[in-house]
Amino acid sequence: MATTGVGTETGAVIAGSAAADRGGLSNLRSISLPLGLAFLVLAGWQLAVTIGHIAPVILPSPISIVRYIIDRYDILLMHAIPTTLESAVGFILATLLGVALAIIITYSKVAREALYPNLVFFQLIPKIALAPLFIIWLGIGSQSRIAFSVFIAFFPVVIATTAGFMSVDRSMLRLCRALTASEWQIFTSVRFPSALPYIFSGMKIAITLAIIGVIIGEFITAQAGLGYLIIFATARADTEVSMAAIVVLCVCGLLLYGIVALGEWIANKFYAADTE
Amino acid sequence: MPQPTNATAAAGESPLVSVSKVQKTYLTRQAPVHAVASASLDVARGEFVSLLGPSGCGKSTLLMMIAGLEAPTGGLITLAGSEVKKPRRDIGIIFQDATLLPWKSALDNVLFPIRILKLPMESYRQRARDLLAMVGLTDFENKKPSELSGGMRQRVAICRALIHDPEILLMDEPFSALDAITRDQMNVALSEILETYKKTVIFVTHSIREAAFLSDRVVVMGGRPSTIVLDMKMPFPRPRRFEIEETAEFTSVCRKLRLTIEEAHGHPPAASNASSASRGGGVIE
Repeated sequence: MATTGVGTETGAVIAGSAAADRGGLSNLRSISLPLGLAFLVLAGWQLAVTIGHIAPVILPSPISIVRYIIDRYDILLMHAIPTTLESAVGFILATLLGVALAIIITYSKVAREALYPNLVFFQLIPKIALAPLFIIWLGIGSQSRIAFSVFIAFFPVVIATTAGFMSVDRSMLRLCRALTASEWQIFTSVRFPSALPYIFSGMKIAITLAIIGVIIGEFITAQAGLGYLIIFATARADTEVSMAAIVVLCVCGLLLYGIVALGEWIANKFYAADTE
Repeated sequence: MPQPTNATAAAGESPLVSVSKVQKTYLTRQAPVHAVASASLDVARGEFVSLLGPSGCGKSTLLMMIAGLEAPTGGLITLAGSEVKKPRRDIGIIFQDATLLPWKSALDNVLFPIRILKLPMESYRQRARDLLAMVGLTDFENKKPSELSGGMRQRVAICRALIHDPEILLMDEPFSALDAITRDQMNVALSEILETYKKTVIFVTHSIREAAFLSDRVVVMGGRPSTIVLDMKMPFPRPRRFEIEETAEFTSVCRKLRLTIEEAHGHPPAASNASSASRGGGVIE
């Protein structure tokens, strides 16, 4: 197989059908390998708990966690909704703020010189340490959790988007100027679409950080939400509940991440297609 | 060095492009760099003029000034009788890299100027297809740039430069990133395109053969600070075919151009000369 791979370009084209078959096989592998490993780990966990007689307070078994999720999905759902909504709102605001700051940094030299070093310095602060302050400033409602989530999540969007706006080919900008394009035309038809992959990679980091922000907020104050449920259940040594809440949190995170990935797919389709 | 007289192809008719005593000086921290000392040049309508010279001789700078992308620090450039102060719509421009939008198909890339110039998209779509057919890319109009070869991408860029039917085509070393074989093909393709879509062309290159093959006139730039050192008519008939490169006349023209370039740059580079050339080259190109 290795020898055919070293062939010339034409060789690769001729070997196209074989490559497709191999592609199908490796696709199967790329799904079955991680799934198999995860299954092995879960099975090992289950076995260790059953055979080793580990107390459920220390480590509940995967089966009991799943059973709890199925039995008490209503409670879990009730807590998952505010966490997911607040994360989504925090993420959207972080994205808007991040892109807006990136536009200012890109177009204003003064702003760039004034803002950028401060942003980087700001990034060095262990931001989680500031979470309690948000409670003092904004109270114990959603607004303080959302604000904290924005605070944690906007930075990667600024950095990635600025990099995206700056990455535009200089010849492309010259071409636009030679065609008498306005700054707005250059932004909408060249800079913004060129930056899209960067923006989305920033957004994918931001969505996970936004969830972390909300969970930390919930650890500190909330009366609802998965973060609250985890703290509450752990305090009562109800490890099974807190593990179930973590599993649901993973699902919510995957869901939000999936929405961002879908957004990227749609944006790419849109820019590839629109001719007008 | 005395300024050669500008032989305008069609005597009597006023030139389409007129460059007179144009200078360009960049202010750097150390000392001002004279990219172009004094260049004068007329280009008649329909003429193909190459600016030939080594890297750093100011030929690209001169082209960018004609495009209105850079302002001369002295002298005057006029296009169809009016002074060039900023970019204008009747110019098509082609760079060393094809600079296509990677998320757009070849056809949409060709139509990009129409979108920027806010012309009616529908009425240009057929023209875009004709242009792509002309360069042999009919079957590739829906392909993305990443699916095209370097030569194909540069052909798309040529179509894009022609789509809004500009009066004049400015080409800045358009084929220098291509391999030698593709480059020869592109030279033939370009002369064929220009037989169909008659344009005035100013073509920057550092390839002597390319300049001689394509041009009606070759203008050699050189010296430091840079001036025009030779303005020479190419005696070959049109349409140009590849066979002309094998004639003795072609060889002697190329030799003349090469000797002029070498002379302008000083004889075998003395140490001081070479160091200033490399420093200046970095600033200008």
